[in-house]
Amino acid sequence: MTEQPKADEAGVILGPFRIRRLFQKTLFGVFGLFGFIGVATASLAVYTVDTQLTQEYVSNSRDIAKTIADSSVDILLNRDLAALQSLVDQFVEIQGIRYIYITDETGEFLAHTFVPGIPEEILASDTTDTATVERSLPGMGDFVEVGSPILAGFAGNVHVGMDTGLIALKIQRAIGQQIYLICAVFVVGVFAALWFVNLAARPIGELLTYAANLVQRGADAPEARVLERQDEAGQLARLFRLVAGGRRD
Amino acid sequence: MITRRSFAGYGLFGALLAPRARGVPVSDSEILLGTSAAFSGPSRGLGIELYRGAQACFEEVNRQGGVFGRKIRLRTYDDGYQPDPSVKNTMTLMLEDDVFGLFGYVGTPTVTRVLPLLKKFQDRSILLFFPFTGAQPQREPPYGEFAFNLRASYRQETGGLVDNFVRVGRRRIAVFYQADAYGRSGWAGVRAALARHGERLAGEATYRRGTKFTSTMRRQVEILKAENPDAVICIGAYAACAAFARDAVDLGLTVPIANLSFVGSENLLKLLAGVREDSSRYTDLLVNSQVVPSYEETSIPAVREYRELMQRHDPSPPEELVTESYTAFAQSFVSLEGFLNAKLMTEVLRRLGPEPSREALEAAMFTVQDFDLGIGESVSFSSERRQGLQRVYYTVVRDNRFVTLTDWHERFAKT
Repeated sequence: MTEQPKADEAGVILGPFRIRRLFQKTLFGVFGLFGFIGVATASLAVYTVDTQLTQEYVSNSRDIAKTIADSSVDILLNRDLAALQSLVDQFVEIQGIRYIYITDETGEFLAHTFVPGIPEEILASDTTDTATVERSLPGMGDFVEVGSPILAGFAGNVHVGMDTGLIALKIQRAIGQQIYLICAVFVVGVFAALWFVNLAARPIGELLTYAANLVQRGADAPEARVLERQDEAGQLARLFRLVAGGRRD
Repeated sequence: MITRRSFAGYGLFGALLAPRARGVPVSDSEILLGTSAAFSGPSRGLGIELYRGAQACFEEVNRQGGVFGRKIRLRTYDDGYQPDPSVKNTMTLMLEDDVFGLFGYVGTPTVTRVLPLLKKFQDRSILLFFPFTGAQPQREPPYGEFAFNLRASYRQETGGLVDNFVRVGRRRIAVFYQADAYGRSGWAGVRAALARHGERLAGEATYRRGTKFTSTMRRQVEILKAENPDAVICIGAYAACAAFARDAVDLGLTVPIANLSFVGSENLLKLLAGVREDSSRYTDLLVNSQVVPSYEETSIPAVREYRELMQRHDPSPPEELVTESYTAFAQSFVSLEGFLNAKLMTEVLRRLGPEPSREALEAAMFTVQDFDLGIGESVSFSSERRQGLQRVYYTVVRDNRFVTLTDWHERFAKT
């Protein structure tokens, strides 16, 4: 859609002809492209960060559980449980590790880090099973729990609970940073698109103004700047003048 | 008359003024011992009282000319009852201050982490003397050879409490404990003692180290109450244990509540007495095990000496370490233990003779055989026996004071 142009007292059309539709289409294109890029990038990032972080944390937790299991053998066989608890307390300070518990071969708890007590869900579970499980503990959060046997399970088992909330937090941070970046690029992109559209629309508007004057006044149409342009708009303007019976350059 | 001193407000000013000269373990004029203990945080009362008791003895020894002319000095650091600062302080004491020995440490989680340092730097022959903990790690291999203990162990304290509870018909015993090495040590002691009677723990609940009296323990009480115990044994420090006793009574868990010697009985009582006017409802069911006799038993020679010297010297904790307000007790079980620790330390330093060396300390300890500390129980040490005292005392609250319990049946029999 074009805006109605203004004319002077002699009937010379002054313009401007604004090309809104072209402008809108371009902007919609920019919006759509950035939206697609944003959603696609965020989705890929969520998947990648979630997968890699979970794998990394589970792997670290397994290593920690195995380290505790290996270190516990001597303590369980030769020393006091205070030493075992001291060992556990040092490992639970590692970021992401929310709880650790050690059971003997019968499943009795020998050391743990739970406050104010061992959750019912864990008390009810099979503590001799060292398979990786996902747990949701009321009042504590969601966890991935990994286990490791002590002396092949004959002396007990170690279980390490990793806070999946921390992974979610890290994903949120990663996605948040990405969204900030995309938004910044989007704003720059919109201004760049506006500038380019304006740059491209200006000679077309001048051409339209000149064409309108030719239609209205024929060969008497006043000279216009667009006739001096060396691009397609200038060529078209000169062609229109020729068709209207004006002079040939 | 009970005298009390308030140490509020020294903190930063004192810290700025106090010089920290590099130490010399033994000079012609002094013997330097190193201490890392809780002088800040919710358990600061333990470190301060233990220090005061020890200083009452050392100041008297120094006033009388010291040991072979050398004054006994304590280089003291605050660890707030936290393991990491304790390790850092110990490194400083061993490597920079170069102390003659480590003396008067407070707490299981702290001492447990310090022990490997003694083994690592064993070429320096620095030993740990009389820590304020009854845990096992400093009593058995692989670190037992680097420490000497005076007090009875938590196993002995918890074993005695369980035996007495079972004797009066209270077999369902639950445990409320600090979630760390100290709590686990006591928990293991209760568990082992119950096993000897064919019983298992009736229930258990935990709290985090550093919990204040203002914190709620309702959830812990609910967990234990659901198990319907006949008695609860608390393995914790005074702030948390007082909070538990308060909430237990308020929520209707009216069974005997026992505490170990580490709790700091006077601080526990002071907190509970401040809850309301009729504080007896919170304290009537308390029974605290102690590893030293009551400081009210003036018939005991060492107690008389302790009371006299505490009154004479009324020691203050190091000014630079006191950052929080604390009102000291004229007498307490903890300061009496500190006093006895210092008395034995002085005796060992005397036995080293006029040319003391760290390398000779262990051998000097082994010369202590049937030594009379003045509390009616002789003390002996050997390579196999690294704990001096074995006896456990039991106390209850009467007239707002802890007094010796004479009849378990009368006080706690299950009806």
